[in-house]
Amino acid sequence: MTFNLTLIAIFTAGGFIYSLILPKSWRKWTLFIASILAVYALQPPLLIRNMDFILPTVTIFVTVFVWIATLPRQDNQLRITIQWRDLFTIAVLMLLITGLAMTRFLPSEWQLLTASRPPAPLDVFLALFPLALLIILVGGIQINQPRQKVLLSLMILVIIGVFIILKTDRLALAFSGWLREQTGRDATLANPLTDLNWLGFSYVAFRLIHVLRDRQTGKLPDVSLRDMLTYIIFFPSLTAGPIDRIERFQEDLVALPEMNGRDPSRIVIGSTRIVIGIFKKFVVADTLALFALTATNAGQVTYAGGMWVLLYGYAFRLFFDFSGYSDIAIGIGMLFGVQLPENFNRPYLKNSITSFWQSWHITLSNWVRFYIFSPLTRTMLRWKRKPSSDVIVGIGLVATMVIIGLWHGISFTFFIWGLWHATGLFIHKMWSDRTRKWYNQFKKKQGQLRLWNWAGIFITFHFVVVGWVWFVMPDVGSALSVLSKLAGVGF
Amino acid sequence: MDEKTIREKLRAYITADLMRDPDYPLGDEEGIITGGMMDSFALAELAVFVENAFNVYIPDPDLTVAKMDTLNQIVARVMRDIK
Repeated sequence: MTFNLTLIAIFTAGGFIYSLILPKSWRKWTLFIASILAVYALQPPLLIRNMDFILPTVTIFVTVFVWIATLPRQDNQLRITIQWRDLFTIAVLMLLITGLAMTRFLPSEWQLLTASRPPAPLDVFLALFPLALLIILVGGIQINQPRQKVLLSLMILVIIGVFIILKTDRLALAFSGWLREQTGRDATLANPLTDLNWLGFSYVAFRLIHVLRDRQTGKLPDVSLRDMLTYIIFFPSLTAGPIDRIERFQEDLVALPEMNGRDPSRIVIGSTRIVIGIFKKFVVADTLALFALTATNAGQVTYAGGMWVLLYGYAFRLFFDFSGYSDIAIGIGMLFGVQLPENFNRPYLKNSITSFWQSWHITLSNWVRFYIFSPLTRTMLRWKRKPSSDVIVGIGLVATMVIIGLWHGISFTFFIWGLWHATGLFIHKMWSDRTRKWYNQFKKKQGQLRLWNWAGIFITFHFVVVGWVWFVMPDVGSALSVLSKLAGVGF
Repeated sequence: MDEKTIREKLRAYITADLMRDPDYPLGDEEGIITGGMMDSFALAELAVFVENAFNVYIPDPDLTVAKMDTLNQIVARVMRDIK
């Protein structure tokens, strides 16, 4: 089931029942169980047998292993013991997944919680039981802090490795062919879209890296297995974010039993966000989609103005679709007592590219700031013979923006899109560094400042919009063709 | 090192090296980034200075405008972890 109106209605109704009727002490377990079930329910069907059951299970168990690896260890205390509460969580997990497999015996129209007919429950249990034992054993392995850091780095590398395979067309195709061979299916029909569409993996991967990295730097709070799993696969934000932070998420979980379920403002604000989000995503964005730039309609345009209309259409469709989705996710989160972070703050009305990136997909740009830009520039700043700070920021920006680009898919066009924004950010930094004193004086002239602001908004918006050409077109040739047509040549 | 020394060292570093305006009378509650006197890219430089000068490591997720905008905030963050 995809994130459609039916599902939003189910989540919203669930939110009302949860807020108004459910006993307070059940709230945390409810979020946990709903999130586990949603990982399976939201997964699109896949053509390799049982793959749409296996991938959600892998998401869950990778998270369990990450949790084990991030348990706090001190030098004087080598062994950690898993607490009873966490063993209980593992038991509930086994029961839930085996229970899901039991729906195999229901008539197919009742198998609503899984993408296709689940595997046999006994097979599922026999696969999961050794895994659960392994988790408990791994938890007891003696490991000191320096070794834990190595283990955490290895896990980060594995996640990045899987990410690269899934996001690189050729590698994903080869992997899908290999999987087909292993399962006795025709390898020539391999197609990553129908074989390996792993729901939410991009977002899950970034949350997992955040957790692993924060343990390395000592920032990660102590988290129970149940709360870690709920954070990583929290159902409103599983599909496409926002990417919350675990210490913030945990504060909300702690406050859940005390939350006033009948607080009208929370319910009204949450429901309003959902309605606004539905309007933005399903009315505005879907209407704009009729004339938004695509690889197909780009070839049919015969004059520059038409190309600009398509491009504006795409820019607004993208914004309304994604920010509408974020509104729905935040609204549903609120009904369940979790205040997910904002992802957009009027990005197309910003007067500089730096402000744009502080207001577009905010939780992703924060993530890359914390885990790429900041550590990379800090490392370079610690060098004995370090380059000038302008060069360091330049390198940091290129690395960061290229990674944001490649996160969407490893291709040359996304690489150029990242480079385009890195260049914009770098030029803006150079400019604002050199004009800061002048600007602080200029700010006092109200009338001229307003004009200056509007000019900034116009330039920033068009810089972003022209950049979208690289985002939407599948290859360099077609992107260059669109760009030349925008300039009125090449028809 | 007492709080006053730390505060003055930070004030001197921020105005001279990050704002590049050593004579600027930077107030304790003044928004350094929100006030447009330095950009958020400079927070990494500030973090490395804090490491070298006070031996305090500020994790990357704490280097945000919300948490590090005023001298008071920065001093409080350094004082929290100083040995």
